[in-house]
Amino acid sequence: MLKSKKIVVLGHFGVGKTSLIRRFVTDTFSDNYKVTIGVHITKKVVEISAKETISLILWDLEGTDDIETIRKAYLLGTHGVVFVFDITRPSTFQHLKSDLKIVSEKIPNTPLMVVGNKTDLVDAKELQITLDENEITVDFLTSAKTGFAVDDLFTKLANQLAKDA
Amino acid sequence: MLDHYRREFTNKNIQFIFVDQKGVVQESDDEVFSVQTGSSIFELHPFFESLEGIFESPENEVDFYCVHLPLKENVFTVDLKIAKKEGGLLLIIYDLTKHYNTYQSVTQVRNESVIKTELTVIKNQELEERERFKNRFIQNFSHELRNPLTSIMAITNILEETKLDTEQSQMLQFLKASNANLKQLLEDILSISMIDTGKLDLVQKMFDLKQFFDLLEFTYKAKAKEKGLNFNADWDEKLPKFVEGDRLRIFQVVTNLLDNAIKYTETGTITFSLKLNQKRANRVSLRFQIKDSGIGIANENLEVIFESFNQLGAIGNTSSGSGLGLAIASGLLNLMESEIKVNSTVGQGSEFYFDLHLKFQLLTSPDAKKSSPKSHKKQELKKTEGPKSKLLLVEDDLQVQTTLFKILLGTGRFHIDVVYDGALVLQEVVSSNYDIIVMDVNLPNLSGDQITKLIREFPFNNVKTIPIIGITADGYQENIDKCRKAGMNKVLIKPFEKEDFLNSIYKILRNSKR
Ligand SMILES: Nc1nc2c(ncn2[C@@H]2O[C@H](COP(=O)(O)OP(=O)(O)OP(=O)(O)O)[C@@H](O)[C@H]2O)c(=O)[nH]1
Ligand SMILES: [Mg+2]
Repeated sequence: MLKSKKIVVLGHFGVGKTSLIRRFVTDTFSDNYKVTIGVHITKKVVEISAKETISLILWDLEGTDDIETIRKAYLLGTHGVVFVFDITRPSTFQHLKSDLKIVSEKIPNTPLMVVGNKTDLVDAKELQITLDENEITVDFLTSAKTGFAVDDLFTKLANQLAKDA
Repeated sequence: MLDHYRREFTNKNIQFIFVDQKGVVQESDDEVFSVQTGSSIFELHPFFESLEGIFESPENEVDFYCVHLPLKENVFTVDLKIAKKEGGLLLIIYDLTKHYNTYQSVTQVRNESVIKTELTVIKNQELEERERFKNRFIQNFSHELRNPLTSIMAITNILEETKLDTEQSQMLQFLKASNANLKQLLEDILSISMIDTGKLDLVQKMFDLKQFFDLLEFTYKAKAKEKGLNFNADWDEKLPKFVEGDRLRIFQVVTNLLDNAIKYTETGTITFSLKLNQKRANRVSLRFQIKDSGIGIANENLEVIFESFNQLGAIGNTSSGSGLGLAIASGLLNLMESEIKVNSTVGQGSEFYFDLHLKFQLLTSPDAKKSSPKSHKKQELKKTEGPKSKLLLVEDDLQVQTTLFKILLGTGRFHIDVVYDGALVLQEVVSSNYDIIVMDVNLPNLSGDQITKLIREFPFNNVKTIPIIGITADGYQENIDKCRKAGMNKVLIKPFEKEDFLNSIYKILRNSKR
């Protein structure tokens, strides 16, 4: 049977969670912002190797600036986490360390990808300064708009999850 | 079996489904959407794949909120209760699509305005930083230039004392004129940059207005005469002799305008008039007006002439001066809470005017203060009251709205804004700094306690801590508790006395250190 893995996508509102998933699943993008409330769930089958495919169940959660308030039920049975922030809005990464700590407490022992999104909006040098100043380490810098590194992100996570089980 | 569970619920928008341990649908009442008995629930929507996790979890019951289920034609937004039962799982599905659609609209407005505010703040910070840098640069630069210029001027003066032939004397006069221009230019640039950086503070003092006027008349009559122009000075006899203001800066504004008038006029008359608009209590409104019969300003130039540097060479081609005069004048007037207005016709002339609101002294009756106890008392009262508070009234019932508005307005202590819609409240609170909100609990679409909750969840401290007073006709403890729990500071039960209403507001305002 096809292995299926649940991935939750978390972060403050407006950082591009929905856009990243949409880029990954349907390879489209919209500049319009439609706020997600509750949770939207989509599925995408990913090829790991010639012989192996897994199905990713992507949970696109409502954005919140208080990670603590995320309902436990949403996180039940999670295999992987993507935490997204918006590199153009400091409020979404100001408390990144404590946010990530809360995430790893709520979902312990689960692979986690930290993603800075919207790279198309700043130049690389400025971005590096912002990251250094805030002592932020990311796994991926992405742009849902251009598609930059979006596939890489989910493929890497999928590979990791395929190995885990 | 399902009937047994259903008896507890009466709502039609609830569906019961029972699936076995493999996720095969055993029974469904299809109240919300239809599911085939015998089919796999996992196939229905990827959400249901998470049910496997529930079999493994220690909990016996799990609640999910606001899950979107796009099924065939319809998208349902549902809450689900999933309970482990013998032989499988019971799924209770509440269709709350309508409710969540409303919630979505409100959250949409909130998130958008929060993000917009955040990005505006960032953008302004960047602009300010750039502006600060520019001004720092200009200020340093001007100071650096002053020293060599002072040397040049000193040496020019010494040179003038030496023996020079006619040609050399002539050249020296040009040199002196250029020095003077350069000096004025530096001073103007410095003034502009001081105004822009807010480093220029006004010094308010009583001064002799008549003397001020006479000095200007004397100076500019001479200057006009030099150029072969007539000069009229018009003093209004109703004007007070002494006023309180920054004499030096007012002088700077008027001289800038008069210099311009002379500069751009070749024949005819310059008129300077000072008139009284009105006197009230101890305040006067003055109208300064400078009129010329010069070259005039084309309509398309009227807006740019007040901008720094933009007008360099834009009007006429007189070479003297920095061309910053109008920018300085308008910047200074801005500090004095006034603004320059201009009427102009190309070829006929221009008229610049502005109004100043100044305090004045009633020198004619030295006992003025004693003889008008009324105004004195009023002032006292105001002092103890402090500045007005900004109050947002949220009420959809027009009658109640009017009554409350009248009560609040009657105190003279509030700036009041009124809205009647929940989504508008959220927009209002981020765009204006309110000291307090008075809100009906029973609003359409989104109730007062829900709005309160959203406000309390705002990421901005100045918004989330705004004191909120709820008004309700429902005096049941349950309702009051709900409002307090949502974050209201006080709940008033209708009907209430005017005094109680106002006192509650005053008390909360006193206690909140906003
Ligand atoms: N320029 C740019 N804009 C992006 C990018 N990703 C998302 N956006 C825009 O940012 C806004 C928010 O994107 P969403 O994907 O809806 O954000 P979200 O994290 O799902 O927001 P919530 O659902 O409210 O939590 C939208 O206007 C998107 O068009 C990106 O990579 N570059
Ligand atoms: Mg979203």
